[in-house]
Amino acid sequence: MPKRRDILAIVLIVLPWTLLITVWHQSAIAPLLAIRKDEGAEGKRETGGQDSKEYCASDKDIVEVVRTEYVYTRPPPWSDVLPTIHIITPTYSRPVQKAELTRIANTFLHVPNLHWILIEDSQRRTPLVTGLLRETGLNYTHLNVETPKSFKIRGDTRDPRIPRGTMQRNLALRWLRETFKNNTSQPGIVYFADDDNSYSLELFEEMRSTRKVSVWPVAFVGGLRYESPKVNAAGKVYGWKAVFDPHRPFAIDMAGFAINLKLILSKPQAYFKLRGVKGGYQESSLLRELVTLNDLEPKAANCTKILVWHTRTEKPILVNEGKKGFTDPNMEI
Amino acid sequence: MAARMKLKLKTVFVLYFMVSLMGLIYALMQLGQHCDCTERDLPKDRAISRLQEELYRLQGQIRQLEKLKQPEKQPPKASLPTIFVITPTYARLVQKAELTRLSLTFLHVPQLHWIVVEDSPRRTPLVTNFLMKSGLTYTHLYVPTAKERKLQEGDPSWLKPRGVEQRNEGLRWLREDRRAQPGEDGQQGVVYFADDDNTYSPQLFEEMRSTQRVSVWPVGLVGGMKFESPVVEGGKVVRFHTGWRPSRPFPMDMAGFAVSLKLVLTNPDACFDGEAPMGFLESSLLKGLVTVDELEPKADNCTKVLVWHTRTEKPKMKREEALQVQGLGSDPAVEV
Repeated sequence: MPKRRDILAIVLIVLPWTLLITVWHQSAIAPLLAIRKDEGAEGKRETGGQDSKEYCASDKDIVEVVRTEYVYTRPPPWSDVLPTIHIITPTYSRPVQKAELTRIANTFLHVPNLHWILIEDSQRRTPLVTGLLRETGLNYTHLNVETPKSFKIRGDTRDPRIPRGTMQRNLALRWLRETFKNNTSQPGIVYFADDDNSYSLELFEEMRSTRKVSVWPVAFVGGLRYESPKVNAAGKVYGWKAVFDPHRPFAIDMAGFAINLKLILSKPQAYFKLRGVKGGYQESSLLRELVTLNDLEPKAANCTKILVWHTRTEKPILVNEGKKGFTDPNMEI
Repeated sequence: MAARMKLKLKTVFVLYFMVSLMGLIYALMQLGQHCDCTERDLPKDRAISRLQEELYRLQGQIRQLEKLKQPEKQPPKASLPTIFVITPTYARLVQKAELTRLSLTFLHVPQLHWIVVEDSPRRTPLVTNFLMKSGLTYTHLYVPTAKERKLQEGDPSWLKPRGVEQRNEGLRWLREDRRAQPGEDGQQGVVYFADDDNTYSPQLFEEMRSTQRVSVWPVGLVGGMKFESPVVEGGKVVRFHTGWRPSRPFPMDMAGFAVSLKLVLTNPDACFDGEAPMGFLESSLLKGLVTVDELEPKADNCTKVLVWHTRTEKPKMKREEALQVQGLGSDPAVEV
């Protein structure tokens, strides 16, 4: 009899404590765990934060809302498996700038794991570019460096001795080296994309498998329908199909190659040469410090398909603006 | 002694029980206050977001596979009117580049039907294959421009109107196609004329979707100015801000207006007049459809530029031509 009473007493004592402990356990530990995992996995995801607001709604609504957002206005969700493509685009203010950046952003919005590094040739970041970048929803970095006037192209003539965009690209390379440590585990590919070219989506998937430096043909450069690396039967690059100085170390356009991030980080002295670069040699000034011809990886079906076009946009005729400007200068174009 | 001990023990027990009970109640009350749908559901959300990522990846894969097949015409959702974009195009070096970047913009617009009309006596393989892989809903038409209407080498671009027959062919097909589709849903839509070298922001298409008759907005980099635009006062278009021949009935660019499908279908004879003087092409269509007073201003009462009349340079082919004379031109089998 005393045993039963004892047991009852023990049960009565222990019961509230166990209940208390289990309830506290559930409510206190779970959010802590979730928060830690949250910071780890969603560090890079721009869209993740917006989506979690929808979770309180009913299950039906979640799928509908998020799917619409993804398909049409947001970049694809970040993948933990794909290497990041870092796109370096120098840009400068001129009437067609917003149009060019808009249509190139429309292209990039289809590419998963893309990081856009946009460098303005200006003294400070302009509101036009800042606003545009924010609205696209892309994963981006916005930098700026002004080319000193002594280096800038005089008037409109393309003076090949002064390569445009060099300081901006070099700044981006330096930013990459400062942001990613040499032994980084995050795989990445670096590609130089000018804002007036045309890119197909296939190009970005081809360059994702770059181990050192990969190359492919580019249309409308060097006064030809396309320039292309020469690839032998063994799949190695042995020369350049070009008419304009085919004996350059790398007779290739800026849009015709991509570099693995590890290679950039392992050679911290490699930059585009700023002064004394002959026309058409700018790409070589960087590549010769990184690879030899033998190391190049040909893409685009052994360099037989055109996946990027070096289009140039006409300078718009603004004669009717007159000396004082006919249109409202506050309207952003 | 024993009695006091017993008493003490009892009180201890009772106290103990009360304290723990109160603690439990307090804890339950605390939890009850939060409405913790976020906190409690977070582990479930992790699972949901992981599954969604998988889903999107698989969807992406499916889309890649479907790019090889022609996409079927999807029945339009009751809430979203279809935008029919009529694009005339012609073979030249930059054609594939222009169509590529145009299609990448259109892929951002839901319920868009692309009507591509080639200036050619037959469908070219370049455009055929391109459209198949584009992933868009499309119609591929063709009509050659009569020789005397065509621009010759060296002619300035404004000498003869371009794309007239092609746009009219697009309208003709649309009227025929819609007549075969009975029902109210089939008559809902907006018609827009998009040239293949302009630049469009996806927001433009959302603005034009609500067109009832004809809607208008500013166009950048056209008419010799930074932008041309209708001037809106009190929600209505009162005049046009343009630097060139403002006396035209509708002094705006092809890219600056959209027509509702209903209006196109109820006016079966309305089309572009190729004989119209330079700059009057747009007016030749619109004057039969709407008055200036009825125009619907979009883009924040015509204060934002969402479309630019960009033009692409003709690529320099001096070296290519020199090579071809020698018989050493670049491989013509490689499609550019």
